[in-house]
Amino acid sequence: MANDAAVSALAVRAVSARRFGTRFSLRRHPWSVALAAVLAVLGTWVATGTTPVALVFLWQWTPALLWGLLTNIEISVLAMALGTLAGLVVGALSLSPVRALRVLTRWYVQFFRNAPVLVLIYFTTYVFPFELHIVRWTVPFPDWIKVVLGLALPTSAVVAEIFRGAIQSIPSAQWEAAQSLAFRRTEIFRLIVLPQCLRRMLPPWMNLYASITMSTALASLVGAHDVVDTAQIASNTVARTDFTVLVYFTLLGVFFAYCYPIARATRALERRHARH
Amino acid sequence: MSDPGLLAQAVAAIKPLGLNYAFLLDLGERQAFLRGLVVTLELCLLTIPCSLAAGVGMAAALTSGRGWLALPARAFVEVTRNTPTLVQLYCAFLVLNMLITRQLEGVGGNPLTPFVWVVIVVAVHKGAFHAEALRAGIEAVPQVTLEAARSLGFSQRQLLWRVELPLAVRFALPSLVNNLVDLVKMTAVASAIAVGDVTYESIMIWTQRDNVLELLLLILLYFGALTWLVSRAGSWLEGRLRMPGYGQ
Repeated sequence: MANDAAVSALAVRAVSARRFGTRFSLRRHPWSVALAAVLAVLGTWVATGTTPVALVFLWQWTPALLWGLLTNIEISVLAMALGTLAGLVVGALSLSPVRALRVLTRWYVQFFRNAPVLVLIYFTTYVFPFELHIVRWTVPFPDWIKVVLGLALPTSAVVAEIFRGAIQSIPSAQWEAAQSLAFRRTEIFRLIVLPQCLRRMLPPWMNLYASITMSTALASLVGAHDVVDTAQIASNTVARTDFTVLVYFTLLGVFFAYCYPIARATRALERRHARH
Repeated sequence: MSDPGLLAQAVAAIKPLGLNYAFLLDLGERQAFLRGLVVTLELCLLTIPCSLAAGVGMAAALTSGRGWLALPARAFVEVTRNTPTLVQLYCAFLVLNMLITRQLEGVGGNPLTPFVWVVIVVAVHKGAFHAEALRAGIEAVPQVTLEAARSLGFSQRQLLWRVELPLAVRFALPSLVNNLVDLVKMTAVASAIAVGDVTYESIMIWTQRDNVLELLLLILLYFGALTWLVSRAGSWLEGRLRMPGYGQ
């Protein structure tokens, strides 16, 4: 009897699943519906030749904007890589038993965390020369690399703080327990402390990456040809009110599309770690 | 500082270190720089209360429990948090400001200056961060406390102002202070739309003379002092508002 009931329940579920599967519901597929609507509107515009002029211009400028965005992504990735490497070194030094080193790294972190990013970018842009003379070669030192350095400085300070916080969040009892199990200091660090630290460092590190990506917009102020600079050039070249509105809000959308998934992933990771 | 003789001596004393602060001896440039310092201070002093007000408003919308209020507020907060301030400033100043100017062409022109736009954009941007901090604070308020207040006949508004917010502010205070430190640093973005803050005035000076390093050191010191003041005020407030039984 119980078996029968189970079978009929399964059958009902299968039937209802099929019914919902065949009926295309707005609630179940909001993104597909939106995409279909956008495609339909675009199709009508192209077929009847009534596409808004601003959109035609935006389509023409899309490759240039994407090229600019690539510069932003390059800058952010390089700044993050450099900053992370430097930050791990500074963070490790800030845990050293030598007092002078601790004080020095404390000052470094405080200084670069409290300096406005824009001012640091101006700093690296104007203080470094525009080309380098290495023995007898002259190497150009383009603006975007200076921006990378300007962004790597605050990144390293924040990474140092994240690293220090993560190491200190491991209870000292774990060190003592591992020592009593005859682990060596390097082994304790590599096998016990570091794996836990990496996990704790990942969400704030991803947050930092999103924030550094947003700071790359400042590169346009010192003459790097990034996506913001491209949008300004486009707006001035086309010189139409509707296009200006469109291009700046597209810019907002582009950054949002890049940074929001990172923020979502960070939150998901934090939630997963909170449960452990 | 006001005595030119003393100032000249100080500039001469620093010169052997490789730092040339001769621009301080030029009356026009000195005044421009001091004006920049004052404008940055004004920006901070105006933006901090505005951002807190915006944050409270958005936090109230986020936690209102009404979909038509909470959903747009959530969308606005997410867009604000995940886009660069500079792009937001451009959207406001180059787009909205242009549209407003066009609308008001006949009737006395646009009253909004670049300074006002910086205050609005930075206040709203940091307001979104405050709102998230306050929301987390509000959610940390124990349900039992709220139920107790409700059973004492508090209305929804009284509940927010007399029970939830005072507790939530205490929980959120460390992140709020952090946001305010960020806000002070963020005002440097004003130089992008030619508001005469300390960064902008310095750019004007260093394009005339080649003294970038000297000016940048002064700017960094100034921002360091401002952020230090904000975090000192924050820890004073934290000590002041500490309740027995909460925190350490």
